[in-house]
Amino acid sequence: MDNIYRPYLMTISDMIDEAPGVRTFRLNFSDEEEGKNFKFQTGQFGLYSVFGAGESTFCIASSPTREGYIECTFRETGRVTKALRELNIGDTLGFRGPYGNVFPIEKWEGKNLVFVAGGIALPPLRSVIWNCLDLRDKYKNVTIIYGAKTIHDLVYKNELKEWDARDDVNLVTTVDPGGETPEWTGKVGFVPTVVEEAAPDSKDTIAIVCGPPIMIKFTLPVLEKLGFKQDKVYTTLENRMKCGLGKCGRCNIGCTYVCKEGPVFTAEEISKMPDEF
Amino acid sequence: MEKLLNKNNFDSLITGLKKQGYKTIAPRKDNRLVTLEEIQDANEISLDHVITNNSIKEYFLPKTEKILSYTIDKNKVEIEEPEGFAVKSVIFGSRPCDAFSLPVMDKVFNWDCVDKFWVERREAVTIVTISCDKCDSYCFCTSVGLAPDAKQGSDVLLTKISNDDYLVETVTEKGENLIKELESVFSDPPSDTPDRQVATVEKKFDISKIKPWLDENFEHDVWDDFSNKCIGCGACTFVCPTCHCFDIVDECTMTKGDRVKNWDGCQFKMFTMHTSGHNPRSTQGMRWRQRIMHKFKYYVEKFDSTLCVGCGRCSRVCPADMNISEMLEIIETEAGK
Repeated sequence: MDNIYRPYLMTISDMIDEAPGVRTFRLNFSDEEEGKNFKFQTGQFGLYSVFGAGESTFCIASSPTREGYIECTFRETGRVTKALRELNIGDTLGFRGPYGNVFPIEKWEGKNLVFVAGGIALPPLRSVIWNCLDLRDKYKNVTIIYGAKTIHDLVYKNELKEWDARDDVNLVTTVDPGGETPEWTGKVGFVPTVVEEAAPDSKDTIAIVCGPPIMIKFTLPVLEKLGFKQDKVYTTLENRMKCGLGKCGRCNIGCTYVCKEGPVFTAEEISKMPDEF
Repeated sequence: MEKLLNKNNFDSLITGLKKQGYKTIAPRKDNRLVTLEEIQDANEISLDHVITNNSIKEYFLPKTEKILSYTIDKNKVEIEEPEGFAVKSVIFGSRPCDAFSLPVMDKVFNWDCVDKFWVERREAVTIVTISCDKCDSYCFCTSVGLAPDAKQGSDVLLTKISNDDYLVETVTEKGENLIKELESVFSDPPSDTPDRQVATVEKKFDISKIKPWLDENFEHDVWDDFSNKCIGCGACTFVCPTCHCFDIVDECTMTKGDRVKNWDGCQFKMFTMHTSGHNPRSTQGMRWRQRIMHKFKYYVEKFDSTLCVGCGRCSRVCPADMNISEMLEIIETEAGK
């Protein structure tokens, strides 16, 4: 019988420092055969582990259109992420997954997309953003609204430049008041306010929102005001998880197991959940 | 199949099990505590207790268990699978409530993907239950749809019919095979209807009233009221045969280590705390609501089964004298308002 807790062995093939304490790893399967058979869809997550330190849950931050590797972006905060930071290119780590449901990007074909992200919550959206940009013909206007505390805390700085330079992407970046420098050309203000100012047209548009609970709480009413129906607004929930497989018993919100029925939910689904976020 | 087992034959039963290669686990008296643990000799078996202090759970979901081992050599890692964790055993003298917890827990460990550590142990272990001939004020199996002589989850059920005799009823094929293996220990069942010595467990609440109330009362004063006394020690979750929440951690030296699954519990503040410090269940009241909701609503909706077998252990061990059946009685009263 297979051991559901056994991770794939992955080799770190590249890394980039995104922001203070935030790093991205590119991971290749140590066993090529396993790599060839591995499939995932955007929105899914996994358990990343440092042997000797333990496991931690993050999304898969790369797009399934970029085959042969996966990427994860993490901020150093606890034991496992500290141990992750100590690893170098060529080192081995563990990955189990992919787990959870997916962003239904096929359903979104032919529509405008508005991505709204805050801080370290851009990684799950980065996967779906690149997925949709790699299939650019299938979608109409693409808007990305991204904010962080300070300009230093913005992650994927190189990719933000890349999106900014594209004609087919409308990128709005913002930092919290006090987080700017004199040279900063983006907006200054909290994400919900900036979304209200940017006022993306809700007609035929899907909004995908990811950020800290407080940002989501204040952004959803703004989107509603702009005319977004709850079933056209998607988000991902990230509760503490240990197994990722619906057994360890901690990620539930009411009857809903975030690891199995999520992490992707519509605002409509969330509105029906009990207030236990 | 029905048979008769005389108490004087317990000795040959335990010897027989050993000969057949079974490890035997039974209620064993150690000072004041009666604990389900491995025995070597029939005279170690306790027969006059109400319930063992530990539940049957630890023989299927141990307090701590290796889910993989690894060696680290520079940047290369090699994984080894744990082996030999499922040992051919008989649990002799478990209680019907404990036995029933097994099919209830099968649901969570088998749904969607199979946890082999649970499933392989389940296959390796045969459950011989003894019906309860006594109970105490904490027992409430009859309130959750069970009975002191319920058969669900057992492979063989023994019920006392006289001071020295037990009626032996096989429940599953596994149980029948076990009896056949040890045929000489048993005699033919009595021809007349035996007098089954079974405890009368008082029904404390009407379970059908509980879930409809829980469906409507995620927000209610009772949650904080219940939890006021709670010190968050989590003992209730550890002794519970159906509390299955676990943690996964690494235990290691520089060059080798184990990834282990440890019991965890919803009563701990850290259980749900995010890395950021944000905690979706930040108060003990929220954690009690989770405990009651998980057992009497969420599990019912997901797996069509109550996640409580009425053993009463949580209330027996609670250092703050909290009592789950009293809480359910309060909920029943609220439901009637």
